[in-house]
Amino acid sequence: MTIWEKMQKVDRRILYAILVVCVCVGLFFPTTIPTDPDPSSKSFYAEVMKLEKGSTVIIQTDWTNSTRGESMGHFENLMRLMMHGDHKFVFYSAADPAAPQVARTVLARIVAERKGQGLREYKVGEDYIDLGFFPNAEATNTTMGSNLRSVWANRKSKTPTGGEVDVWQTPVLKDVKNIGDIDMMIVVTASASIDVAIQRLAQKVPITAMVTGVTGPGVLPFYQSGQVKGLAIGLKGVYDVEYMMVNGINDVEVEGQKVVEWDKVGKVDRVSEGTTFSRGRAYYGTLHVALVLLILAVIMGNVAMFASRRRKGDAV
Amino acid sequence: MNLMQYMLAQQAIEETFWRKAPGQGLILWVVIGLALGTGLCFLLSTVPTNLRKKVIFTFTFLAGLPYVLAFLWPRPISADFTNDIPRNKGEEIGFFINQAVEPVGTLTNILGGFLLGVGIFSLVRVHSIRIKRRQENWGYSLVLLASFAIMTVVGFWDWRLRAFVDQTGALNVRDNWQPVNYAQDLLFEGIYQQMDSAMFSMIAFFILSAAYRAFRIRSVEATVMMASALILMLNLMGALTYAWGEGINNLVVQTGNPFLMNFKLNVFADWLRSTMQIPAIRAIDFGVGLGALAMGLRLWLGLEKGGVTA
Repeated sequence: MTIWEKMQKVDRRILYAILVVCVCVGLFFPTTIPTDPDPSSKSFYAEVMKLEKGSTVIIQTDWTNSTRGESMGHFENLMRLMMHGDHKFVFYSAADPAAPQVARTVLARIVAERKGQGLREYKVGEDYIDLGFFPNAEATNTTMGSNLRSVWANRKSKTPTGGEVDVWQTPVLKDVKNIGDIDMMIVVTASASIDVAIQRLAQKVPITAMVTGVTGPGVLPFYQSGQVKGLAIGLKGVYDVEYMMVNGINDVEVEGQKVVEWDKVGKVDRVSEGTTFSRGRAYYGTLHVALVLLILAVIMGNVAMFASRRRKGDAV
Repeated sequence: MNLMQYMLAQQAIEETFWRKAPGQGLILWVVIGLALGTGLCFLLSTVPTNLRKKVIFTFTFLAGLPYVLAFLWPRPISADFTNDIPRNKGEEIGFFINQAVEPVGTLTNILGGFLLGVGIFSLVRVHSIRIKRRQENWGYSLVLLASFAIMTVVGFWDWRLRAFVDQTGALNVRDNWQPVNYAQDLLFEGIYQQMDSAMFSMIAFFILSAAYRAFRIRSVEATVMMASALILMLNLMGALTYAWGEGINNLVVQTGNPFLMNFKLNVFADWLRSTMQIPAIRAIDFGVGLGALAMGLRLWLGLEKGGVTA
């Protein structure tokens, strides 16, 4: 058996071991890598930063820990952006019963992080509302479009002092009468639930999205058509947003050159407080390693196949 | 506040033909609803087998009707069906139909909740039988049912403490947690969610193995696909994209030929996405949409017999 034939029949456990080692090493050395964010990520950041201070935002969070490598980074960035802008937000899930609890955990961590940094503490019932889970995405989004007050009628929110209050009496929603009063809807998802939201609500409220790398290509047509105003895709999207939180768009300059340039918008400020680089920076190096490994695997596999064929041809 | 007080504390809601504010009579309505629901379930169970399909099709048609009519019925562009007053009979019918959308949506959400219950019932039934009959791998069924019971008890206990006992928000701080809060955290965050992540992360191993063993350039199509995938994957690597872009920038300065800018990795990848990938996805989506429309119509009109057994 030649070396090429051996390579073609390499034990899969060796491949798995190589993957584990390569990926783990990258995680120990978070590095700031210069990048040019994707236009869709730039749109997302610009749209969110364009919101006036204290805007009201609906967040549909349809991810769980199965995709936390990407979605948790997205959600953390989103929470930091919301809190930086003093925006009030409502969050719920229309895809997975476990999703609201996962979001709660991340939210609590970001609130604690900001409190530790001496920044304003976001409070339930005053700054945000947790609406839980709605089992039917189609019906929920359709009704949100036709009568927002009725779809969340009788829902209660905790107050900072531990009591309960009708969500429509909270500072978050008291001035909202219909979906048109919402400044933006942001969908953080790992599934096609974004499609439902776009189909039912895109004409009534500006929608932006943070999706996984797998879901991203399916949402791109909606971004291109303008139905989704901004779109952060996958781990690259997480890092892109963090990179722009540090450098803004057409904002920070190094040696007379803007770090992130985009001719579609003017200056978009960077985030000047709290944590900016976080999970995206921690994982982005690893993404490089994993992709290089994947590309090498394809190349090596093909080289071995062709070499093996050639040897067989020579032998004949 | 107990559960009953919680229900009684519901605020008055806007009344329409489809929905009445329960007010203080809420409990009575809940009882009536339960009685009607139980009676309806009993009646449905007595329906002759040959009529069951008709019952299902009738309910399906009625549930879909408001959505179809709300979409098709002419209406003013900026109509607000909650606060506006209809100006004529046509608009009145339009308002009537559109006001039905919300209660039907709520109903489907409640049914969705019931479906979770049906799923749980089915799961418990199947695995209980497997344990009772000592069928193959019955031990796994035992673990499943035990996990299910523990998770349910701890989850509800934790929820009860947070929702009805903790009146000051003290449980939001970890230092104030009781053993059951720690148990819930361990079960949900510490075990269930971590297993969820572990299951999904296994895909990475299969992708690598498949890339090495199966992604072969055996045809022109495979070569084109591989070249496209390679460019898009390289574009995900910020370090490479940046270095490549800087190289192209220097080349443009040296040669004075701005056309070279098109060979930046991110520009090329963006072109691939917007010119090749997105139109292809849109075409697929269009086909899927037409198929979904046809299937939806068949289901709504009771023409689709598959999956409906008497």
